[in-house]
Amino acid sequence: MIELTGVKKSFGKQEVLRDVSIKVNDGEVVVILGPSGSGKTTLLRSINFLERADSGIMKFGEKEINFKTAKKKDVLYMRRHTGFVFQNYGLFAHKTVLQNVMEGLVQVQKKSKSEAQRIAEEVLDNVGMLEKKDSYPSQLSGGQQQRVGIARAVALKPDLILFDEPTSALDPELVGETLEVIKKVAKTGITMIVVTHEMSFAEDVADRVIFMDGGVVVEEGKPSEIFYKPKEERTRQFLSRIIPQDAYVI
Amino acid sequence: MGNYFSAERFINVFPKVISNLSVNLHIVFWSMLLGTILAIFVAVLRIRRVPVISGLLGIYISFMRGTPLLVQMMIAFYGIPIVLGNIFLNLFGINLNRLEPVIFIEIAIILNEGAFLGEIFRGAITSVPSVQAEAGYSIGMTGAQTFYRIVLPQAFKVALPHYGVDFIGVFQNTSLVFILGVVDLLGKAKTLGAATGHSLEGYLSAEIIYISFSLFLKGVFLLIENRLNNGTAKAV
Amino acid sequence: MSFSITSFFDSFKSALLYAPVTIKLTAITFVVSLLLGAVIATVRNYRVPVLSQFFAAFVTIYLGLPTMVALLLYNLLFMTFYSDVAAALHISVPISDVNPIFIGYITLIIGTTCSVSESIRGAFRGIEKVQYEAGYSIGMGKFKTLTRIIFPQMVPILLPGMQNSLIGLLKASNLVSAISVVEIMTGALLPSLMYYSYLEGYVAAALVYWMIGAAIEILAHFAEKNSGKYLKRTA
Repeated sequence: MIELTGVKKSFGKQEVLRDVSIKVNDGEVVVILGPSGSGKTTLLRSINFLERADSGIMKFGEKEINFKTAKKKDVLYMRRHTGFVFQNYGLFAHKTVLQNVMEGLVQVQKKSKSEAQRIAEEVLDNVGMLEKKDSYPSQLSGGQQQRVGIARAVALKPDLILFDEPTSALDPELVGETLEVIKKVAKTGITMIVVTHEMSFAEDVADRVIFMDGGVVVEEGKPSEIFYKPKEERTRQFLSRIIPQDAYVI
Repeated sequence: MGNYFSAERFINVFPKVISNLSVNLHIVFWSMLLGTILAIFVAVLRIRRVPVISGLLGIYISFMRGTPLLVQMMIAFYGIPIVLGNIFLNLFGINLNRLEPVIFIEIAIILNEGAFLGEIFRGAITSVPSVQAEAGYSIGMTGAQTFYRIVLPQAFKVALPHYGVDFIGVFQNTSLVFILGVVDLLGKAKTLGAATGHSLEGYLSAEIIYISFSLFLKGVFLLIENRLNNGTAKAV
Repeated sequence: MSFSITSFFDSFKSALLYAPVTIKLTAITFVVSLLLGAVIATVRNYRVPVLSQFFAAFVTIYLGLPTMVALLLYNLLFMTFYSDVAAALHISVPISDVNPIFIGYITLIIGTTCSVSESIRGAFRGIEKVQYEAGYSIGMGKFKTLTRIIFPQMVPILLPGMQNSLIGLLKASNLVSAISVVEIMTGALLPSLMYYSYLEGYVAAALVYWMIGAAIEILAHFAEKNSGKYLKRTA
């Protein structure tokens, strides 16, 4: 499905991605873990060209794109075949819930208004937001906004959805409902890359976990391997800071 | 181009035009000084919501904001002698019809500024969060103390950028006074043009002077703002 | 000398007769300036090389120029160069047949474009980065994101300032009287010239301006109420 090779990115003098290579298979759900500043969000944003990587190769289906020389049409191609779910929702503030989901269907995919509305209502129903279709984002809770954000991405039927810390801006009591929706999307068989700190979610849903630190992939594997038998010391340190609290609670 | 514009004429005319900048600055000085004082009264009265006065001030502000300054100047010029002429003649022995037009221009700008600056001041004072005043009261300050020591200094900082823009606006508005026969920058450029038959050099001089002095004023206000901001940054 | 009600009404009627001149001048200038101002603000916001530096310098300098000075200068340039230019372009219209109002349009459009572009630049800063990214993420290009997402969100941010600009422009349009265009003020003075009733004429002109200004305020208030709907928390 998608394969990134040798991706590098610096912000000024700071090297955020140093030679990252990852591969995600068709229908796979991959969770990227790592401390803040590890480069995981930058990697995700680079796929959608919200950040422009300095160098590296991206193979996406049949297409091969060199980050250094990517043209406008390559950028649009990636954006039209991938969905993106933002950390702080990124709903269009001046549009209702329904209009948010319809916007891409009508303006980008050139579907008729009635067709777009049918699709949008179906997807909103799936995330449990159909009742709120005429509300504006400012009238919704964070969890509700994020469900609409997910619906907006799903409605366009992308080949791949990118989730950038979709629950980290939410109040704790709203995290659960949002994760449930993401799980539901995962079950439809769509390929997903999720950057998150939610360990139990990763364990439940991920086919594979990639651990990043300091701008490189430290190790990857099945959730059970990474969480319980990490090979690298750095992974162990990171997990020890996060898992124990969880483990005791469980 | 040689016929229309000559550098020699320009060099000749420029000093004559700029020497009349003092006329514009004189108008700006008196209008801003008295306009600011009037505006403070307007702002305070508006905030206090004194019944009848508040309504009248509302109409006054609406009129000043809704009608062109040139029309206001003309109304002052023709209207004040008609309305107050007899009173002044009988009480003070002053014949208002003999006064310089510049006086009426200044009165118009002062009244205009009372409204515009009044709204700026009012906005700035009401922008200070009420918790600031409450904090003042909580340490035992009186109402007046709280207003002058806590609210006003903070409002001043909010109002300053707007005051600067308004100040430059008043300077630029002095470009209207030649219509009433005042020989300011533009008036001088016009009379020189009429006398020599070459107007372009004088107009260009006026343009250059207006732009440079406006930018200069802008710089001065930026400097004051920065000073002020640095002051508080250090204090915090 | 006193205030004559009859002269006042004559002037008022005459001013109303010329109100369409002022309204048209104001409205067309405003719409054109809004479009040009949006272009300049966008160019500067995206830091288009050369053009953005040029506009930055131009706007900064031009805002230092009073409208009246610009108006007189353009009028003078027109008077001076018209015959030569007309001859070169084989235009046979004599200068006396050219309506000076077009100089008013040029002056007001350039000045208003500059100030409006500054307001729109400010509005750009009021829009979160994620709004652009959300547009890009659903596959929209830069232009579509700008016209479908960013500009509509600027409307409620811009409205209060635009209301002031529009009323300011209405008042500035009064200056074209200095290049012998007959508009509200000069219209109101037409009867005054016969009876020397200047005060009545100017007061009548003020009243007409005031009424149009009030109408703009009412319209703006109505627009503000509707455009800001999405910002309010309650449905």
